[in-house]
Amino acid sequence: MTYAYLFKYIIIGDTGVGKSCLLLQFTDKRFQPVHDLTIGVEFGARMVNIDGKQIKLQIWDTAGQESFRSITRSYYRGAAGALLVYDITRRETFNHLTSWLEDARQHSSSNMVIMLIGNKSDLESRRDVKREEGEAFAREHGLIFMETSAKTACNVEEAFINTAKEIYRKIQQGLFDVHNEANGIKIGPQQCISTSVGPSASQRSSSEIGSNSGCC
Amino acid sequence: MNFLRGVMGGQSAGPQHTEAETIQKLCDRVASSTLLDDRRNAVRALKSLSKKYRLEVGIQAMEHLIHVLQTDRSDSEIIGYALDTLYNIISNDEEEEVDDVEEENSTRQSEDLGSQFTEIFIKQPENVTLLLTLLEEFDFHVRWPGVKLLTSLLKQLGPQVQQIILVSPMGVSRLMDLLADSREVIRNDGVLLLQALTRSNGAIQKIVAFENAFERLLDIITEEGNSDGGIVVEDCLILLQNLLKNNNSNQNFFKEGSYIQRMKPWFDVGDENSGWSAQKVTNLHVMLQLVRVLVSPTNPPGATSSCQKAMFQCGLLQQLCTILMATGVPADILTETINTVSEVIRGYQVNQDYFASVNAPSNPPRPAIVVLLMSMVNERQPFVLRCAVLYCFQCFLYKNQKGQGEIVSTLLPSTIDATGNSVSAGQLLCGGLFSTDSLSNWCAAVALAHALQENATQKEQLLRVQLATSIGNPPVSLLQQCTNILSQGDKIDRRGSKIQTRVGLLMLLCTWLSNCPIAVTHFLHNSANVPFLTGQIAENLGEEEQLVQGLCALLLGISIYFNDNSLESYMKEKLKQLIEKRIGKENFIEKLGFISKHELYSRASQKPQPNFPSPEYMIFDHEFTKLVKELEGVITKAIYKSSEEDKKEEEVKKTLEQHDSIVTHYKNMIREQDLQLEELKQQISTLKCQNEQLQTAVTQQVSQIQQHKDQYNLLKVQLGKDNPHPGSYSDATQVNGIQPEEVGRLREEIEELKSNQELLQSLLAEKDSLIENLKSSQSSAGTNELSSATASAQDSEQIAELRQELATLKAQLNSQSVEITKLQTEKQELLQKTETFAKPAPASGESEAVAAAKTADAEGRLSALLQETKDLKNEIKALSEERTAIKEQLDASNSTIAILQNEKNKLEVDVTDSKREQDDLLVLLADQDQKIFSLKNKLKELGHPVEEEDELESGDQDDEEDEDEDDGKDQGHI
Repeated sequence: MTYAYLFKYIIIGDTGVGKSCLLLQFTDKRFQPVHDLTIGVEFGARMVNIDGKQIKLQIWDTAGQESFRSITRSYYRGAAGALLVYDITRRETFNHLTSWLEDARQHSSSNMVIMLIGNKSDLESRRDVKREEGEAFAREHGLIFMETSAKTACNVEEAFINTAKEIYRKIQQGLFDVHNEANGIKIGPQQCISTSVGPSASQRSSSEIGSNSGCC
Repeated sequence: MNFLRGVMGGQSAGPQHTEAETIQKLCDRVASSTLLDDRRNAVRALKSLSKKYRLEVGIQAMEHLIHVLQTDRSDSEIIGYALDTLYNIISNDEEEEVDDVEEENSTRQSEDLGSQFTEIFIKQPENVTLLLTLLEEFDFHVRWPGVKLLTSLLKQLGPQVQQIILVSPMGVSRLMDLLADSREVIRNDGVLLLQALTRSNGAIQKIVAFENAFERLLDIITEEGNSDGGIVVEDCLILLQNLLKNNNSNQNFFKEGSYIQRMKPWFDVGDENSGWSAQKVTNLHVMLQLVRVLVSPTNPPGATSSCQKAMFQCGLLQQLCTILMATGVPADILTETINTVSEVIRGYQVNQDYFASVNAPSNPPRPAIVVLLMSMVNERQPFVLRCAVLYCFQCFLYKNQKGQGEIVSTLLPSTIDATGNSVSAGQLLCGGLFSTDSLSNWCAAVALAHALQENATQKEQLLRVQLATSIGNPPVSLLQQCTNILSQGDKIDRRGSKIQTRVGLLMLLCTWLSNCPIAVTHFLHNSANVPFLTGQIAENLGEEEQLVQGLCALLLGISIYFNDNSLESYMKEKLKQLIEKRIGKENFIEKLGFISKHELYSRASQKPQPNFPSPEYMIFDHEFTKLVKELEGVITKAIYKSSEEDKKEEEVKKTLEQHDSIVTHYKNMIREQDLQLEELKQQISTLKCQNEQLQTAVTQQVSQIQQHKDQYNLLKVQLGKDNPHPGSYSDATQVNGIQPEEVGRLREEIEELKSNQELLQSLLAEKDSLIENLKSSQSSAGTNELSSATASAQDSEQIAELRQELATLKAQLNSQSVEITKLQTEKQELLQKTETFAKPAPASGESEAVAAAKTADAEGRLSALLQETKDLKNEIKALSEERTAIKEQLDASNSTIAILQNEKNKLEVDVTDSKREQDDLLVLLADQDQKIFSLKNKLKELGHPVEEEDELESGDQDDEEDEDEDDGKDQGHI
């Protein structure tokens, strides 16, 4: 299948917050209730459609455990988007966001789009981190925010797609050098590049991002 | 470091000593000299000594060299020398060339040396990190030796160095940049470095893949001309293999990145026959292996099948099949291509179907399968090629019932091509089965067994196959022919291994008979078979025959285990007794165990590919080992069971079956009932739901009706004010709360409201006409009384008109009075004239007469004028009289206008009031009409019981109602 663009994503965050489950739900549309520890990094891929353009998402799901931290750092540089995940039922995973974010900012390209995700929104009764806190953190650090549930698939699709929209918008604005593969973006085969798309398209995509944040 | 000195000490002492001193001096210079030139020269000198005096330089200078790397980074030349020196110390590559002629012992020592120096170097992980940062230096003199040094470090102590690189930030990423270096030497050595780096380290493999290694390596391969490229292509391919082998994540990435498509041009070798250089053969070989890595049977099933799919879709399989059928392809490439095609089609129906449709470009075209099978049963073909063809055939039939059916059908009487023009797969297999070459026998038997694998239909179909052995003799069944050959025992005359033919046939028979009671019956039907088997098992033969004995035991065991007792002479029980009597249970089981204890058994059970170092090792088939695993246990159990136990078991089985049938019966019943229950439950729930809905609707309606009633009462009270005869039903409406009655009453009420409305309307009409009358009367009055109008506007207009008239009259009057004065003055003048005439008159008589006449005339005229004036004065008088009259009239009419106006306003108010009331009533009526209609519907839906209940309740209240109401209700009932 041909595609207009290829985006590389990474998924980061503490162990057990549901990174692999988010990926599995996105690529295979199923949920795996048993926690199977990720060793190092796992790969997944899917095609999405943004503004009528086919975009291939290549996603590297990293291990959350501290011992793999040095390995997973190698993946920041070549990624265009990162999903930074915490677990809304475990405050410590929220508290660690700062250190994850520092890591990401230090090793990634400055344009990397980071989407903050509060996962396990289906476990409302055990909620430990308020939605507003997540929103505030995202606002403070310039991230996009969403609460998702890999179990019910709520907002999972949106999380990946909205990140892609934001990257796409940045491409339209000329913030990404699409010819440098170290940015985690690749132009599809036999694709003519037209970076001079009017501002209307980019505005539309940004407004879509803003509007689509309601969850469950 | 004493042990190193020990090694050194072993060598001759004389010249060594001075060299050691020189090295020491050089090291001192490197360490202490403040001049860069001086240090540089010293390092260069060390470099030149490092190859010959590796040990000495290594021991004494390593520390100083590392220090140089740390401190003299600004001078690329000295860094280059230092790196070269370190490389010479650590690497074994150069040494090997030198040591080739020397004894093995010293080579091993030098290898030890390399790894020991490596250990020293990496003891400080910072040294490796330092090396990584040096690799960022673009200068060729730094980068190239740096790459070589790191490569040899990785070769010496891979895992440790890998670990250090893995944890150093961006370590792997930096090394990936080497592939983008424009200097080919560095790029090529970078590939070698990455090979060493990725060797059996999944984490690094993934990072390298993440850093776009696939893309870059495939680009290099394409640039270098694919298989026609040099050793760089081979190096890139080996690196790709490192990245993909046993790394599911990377394989998935490779597939998802659409890189499989880019493999297709690799195999575009066509028929050019431009020559097959050794490098090209090697390249193609690795390329084929790379394809196999992606579709290996040991990969997760889903991953393999998605790659198989992609390979068909992009035309890679088709390309491989072209090579398969091309001429002039070297045998080892052809063999590997067959193996590759095998794994690309294995277990994937679409690809298997495609493979079945491939034809060889011969005349007439023959199916590729047939051409391949010809090679398999051809003794002159290389052994590995024949194995590959067998594997290909197995993969074609793996999980392919359609293919199995097609192969077996070529053996069946109805489909055999009578003309004999073309050879069929079945004919080739039969030919192989009974040829004089044991290898062909084995391959054909195994191939045929794969056509029966897990396919009961084909096992039965194959029983129909008849063979014409020799002219004049009746045809023999295939099964019979197999046992006939078997029964020749070790006297069988075959080229090659003695047992191979029998093992092959026994494997075929075991596969055939397992899970197929009809085949067992056919087998037992030949009375010679059982005695032969028992004889084989019972005999005390040499070690060579043990495997055949084991297989015979397995076959006999299968004949017992899958026996449906349809042959009286060979019922399960009888066979078991036979074993006990002739062989002994223990002995039988021991013989059975020979199979899985065979040294080649575990080897074959590992991989599906028949891969044997030489023909003698060709004993077991992979699928057959699975069958043995499955059956060994159950047969052992079946044999150990006593007859009573067996009987008991049989009984138990029967009762169990009975129970089973009963249980299934009940299960079915329960299932049915469950279904019914479920249905009923659903019905109940829907009914409940409906009921609730209806109930709420009813309560709603009741409350609505109450509301309406209230509203209605209110209206009625209002109406009572307006309407002189509101009717006697007003009190009746207030009491009842129950529907049907209510409906009747409401209906009546409506009737009454309607009549009321009509009344009101007639009233209104009356009033309207009244108003109209008044209006018309007013206007008529206006016309009668000097155009004084009914409307005030008209009035004022008329008044203005009157005034104007008055004004004209006055003006007339004025003009007339002016005329009168004029006439008077004229008269005065005339009087004077007459006086003057009278004076001269006496003077002349004639003139006097004229004057008199004139006077008379004037006097006449004067009187006429006076008359006229009088008339005019009268006229004026009349006119002024008239004017006052008009004025009076005007006042009067003005007052009437005012009165009329008042009256009109009042009437208008009345009209609007009554209109509004009427509208309200109409709206209300419409609403009620509708509500009543819907109520009626709902009541109908609710059915009778509800109505009856309601009616019963309502009955109590009937008494309190008026007659009118009762009538209405009665009507409702009817």
